[in-house]
Amino acid sequence: MADTAQVASAASSKDPAVGLAAVRSLRVLVERLEELQVGNAREQGWTWEQIAERLGVSRQAVHKKHSRGRGPLRRRD
Amino acid sequence: MFERFTPEARQVVEGAQQQARELGHDRIGTEHLLLALLTRQGTTSSTVLGRHGLTRSAVATDVARFAGSELDASALTSIGVDLDAVRTSVEAAFGPGALDDQGDRRSRTGHLPFTPRAKKVLELSLREAIALKSRSITDGHLLLGLIREGEGLAATVLHDRGVDLAALRDEVRLALTP
Repeated sequence: MADTAQVASAASSKDPAVGLAAVRSLRVLVERLEELQVGNAREQGWTWEQIAERLGVSRQAVHKKHSRGRGPLRRRD
Repeated sequence: MFERFTPEARQVVEGAQQQARELGHDRIGTEHLLLALLTRQGTTSSTVLGRHGLTRSAVATDVARFAGSELDASALTSIGVDLDAVRTSVEAAFGPGALDDQGDRRSRTGHLPFTPRAKKVLELSLREAIALKSRSITDGHLLLGLIREGEGLAATVLHDRGVDLAALRDEVRLALTP
């Protein structure tokens, strides 16, 4: 896999279509991981304050984004 | 504003919501309206669109390419991120499907909101109906609204497929003229 990655990287590092698609996919990946991890933290009793501190954002920001029906906590209802 | 819509036009609007849901999108955009117009056979809009070589499946392919929020494994590989490895790690901790889009599950119930551009299309379809002295808004007026809006993903798809929008508009108007 590492070899494949290097080859692909060498072949396409200057192609904006590939580079931008990678950025977009990374963004999607980050969003999904964040939702998953925040949901898990909440399930384990973490406060918004604690979660925000680890994410390096404000408590208000993380609360606004992940409360109100979002995240695994609500989905399993 | 839907009271002036014909039953067919209402079905297109409801169909757009269905299209958005099936694609796992959380809002109804112009592209979903276009897909819904193409899904209903025998209507003015689908007939005229068909004459310009547009089919539902062709447009669906374009829409997926533009609007897909899926994770592009090959693009990620190009920057050294192995999506399979990420998926394996995440699923080991959180179970199968943990990395899948949860948005589509959320959007399966209740009404999806329209994007500002899709709203604009609905408003413009009313104006098109008024301009053509029609008391009701038909699927054809929705298509005219879509063409006049001109900036959404639907317009981009039509443009990229080489559709002559002016000719398309004239044909729809002609078909709507009693």
